Amino acid sequence: MTEVLIAGAGITPFGRTENVSGRQHAVRAVRAALADAGLEWARVGAAFGGSDSAGNADTLVAELGLTGVPFVNVRNGCATGGSALVSAANAIRSGMADVVVAVGFDKHPRGAFDPRPEDWGLDEAYGRDGLMVTTQFFGMKIQRYVHDHGISPRTLGLVAEKAYRNGSLNPNAWRRKEITADEVLASGMVNDPLTRFMFCSPGEGAAALVLVAPHVRHEGVPVSLRAAEVRTRTFGTFEVFSPWVPGGELTSVSRAAATAAFERAGLGPGDVDVVQVQDTESGAEVMHLAECGFCADGEQEKLIASGATEISGTLPVNTDGGCIANGEPIGASGLRQVHEVVLQLRGRAGVRQIAGSPRVGFTHVYGAPGVSACTVLSR
Amino acid sequence: MTALRGSRCDACAVTLYPAGDACPRCGRETAPVTLSTAGELWTWTVQRFPPKSPPYVAPPEGFTPFAVGYVELPEGVRVAAVLDTDLASIRIGMPVLVEAGAGVPRARSAE
Repeated sequence: MTEVLIAGAGITPFGRTENVSGRQHAVRAVRAALADAGLEWARVGAAFGGSDSAGNADTLVAELGLTGVPFVNVRNGCATGGSALVSAANAIRSGMADVVVAVGFDKHPRGAFDPRPEDWGLDEAYGRDGLMVTTQFFGMKIQRYVHDHGISPRTLGLVAEKAYRNGSLNPNAWRRKEITADEVLASGMVNDPLTRFMFCSPGEGAAALVLVAPHVRHEGVPVSLRAAEVRTRTFGTFEVFSPWVPGGELTSVSRAAATAAFERAGLGPGDVDVVQVQDTESGAEVMHLAECGFCADGEQEKLIASGATEISGTLPVNTDGGCIANGEPIGASGLRQVHEVVLQLRGRAGVRQIAGSPRVGFTHVYGAPGVSACTVLSR
Repeated sequence: MTALRGSRCDACAVTLYPAGDACPRCGRETAPVTLSTAGELWTWTVQRFPPKSPPYVAPPEGFTPFAVGYVELPEGVRVAAVLDTDLASIRIGMPVLVEAGAGVPRARSAE
C-alpha cells in the first residue's frame, strides 16, 4: 500500500477569542501547514475538513484560493478531524491526488454543548428531570471504573495537574498556569467524583495537516501516517445520554478503533513512544489508557503516581496539555493531537520535547454518540 | 409501585428500556416485558449544579443537588434513574427499588 506522509502541520492558539471566527482559525492553520511543508495551496489536489459548529470547511477556498480543488466537508462529531484524515489518506492511496490537506476547526461559546432530548431520540422528560447533562455521564463512567479498578481521587487530580503543567510549556495552549493536584481536588465537585478543574471547557482553535505521496518534493520533515482508523460503537458500550446500558461487561469503541489502528500499522502499544488520548476530563485519560491498550485496568493508579505519563516518563501522555489545557474545539482536537505527535517525532517540540529519539506516536479521540478515531505515526 | 415497561429480544437475550420495536443488537422485533422493581445500583453521580433551563425544570422549592445513576435489574438491563435517596449514603451495589415516575424512572434505597 502507498505510504502516506505528513509533510506539514499547522495549528493556531487554542482558547477563546472575541473577534476571530472558526473559519479564520482554519485558514491560519492551513497556511501554517502549507508553509511547514514548503508547498503552495495551488499544489493541493484534494482537501477534507470540517467543524462541528463553526461552518463549512469548503468555504475556506474563498481565502485560501479559488483553485477548483475538490474540497469535501466532514462533520463527524469528535471524529471530525480523524475522519478528514482518513479521507485525505485514502485520497493519496487511491491516486486521487498526491498533495492533500486535512483541516479541523471549531469555535464554541462558554456553556456550549447543550443537547436537546428530541435530537437524541429521547423523551423530553430526560431534559426536564435534569439528565441531559454531559458531565453526568463522565462522572458515572469513572465512578464505576474507580469502584472496579481501585483508582483514587488523587490519581484524578494528578492527571489534571499534569495537563496544566504540560499546557504551561505549550505556547498555543489555553490554560498555561500550573495547578496542583490539591487545588484540582479542592476546586469544587461538579459530578462526583469529578471536580471543576478536572474538566476541559468548550473552546476554539484549528489544526491542519498536509499529506503527500512519497514521490512529492517538499521542504517539510516527513512523518509517516501508519494508520488512521475511525469506528462507531458496537453493542454493549456505555455512552452519554443512554436511558439504559446492557448488562454484562462493557465493550469500548475506543478499544475497537485503537486495535484497528495498531493492526493496520503493524505495531502495538508497546512500540509507542508518545501518546495523546481524549481527556475530556481526568477520568477519561485514565480509562482511555487502558481502552487503547497501554496498560491493564487499574494499573493507572501506580503508573500515574510514578510519573510514567509525564513528559519525562516512560509513557508520555498528552504532552501538549490535552483537552484539559487546550480546551475542546470538537472539530480541531483530533488534528491537534496529530500535530503534537508530529512535533515530538521530529524532535521539535521545544521545552516539552520528550527525551531520546521517539519513533512512534499514537493519537485517540472519543466522543458522542460513541465514535472514536485513532492514528499511529512513525518517524 | 408502577414497574417499568421495557422490551425484550429473545434471540439475543437483550432487554431494553424504554420499550422499543427493534432489538438494537440484531434488528429483530422485540416483545413487551415488565421489568423487575428490585435491583442494585450499578453506578451513580450527584448533579451538584443546576442543569441548564430549559430543558431542565427545577422543583417548586428550587434546585438542590440530586443523585442520578443506573440500576442493574435481573433482566440484564441497567436503567438510568433519578435517585431519591440520601446523598451521603449512596454506594455502588446498594439494593434499590426503581419504578416509573411522572418523568424518568425514579429509584430509592431498599435498605
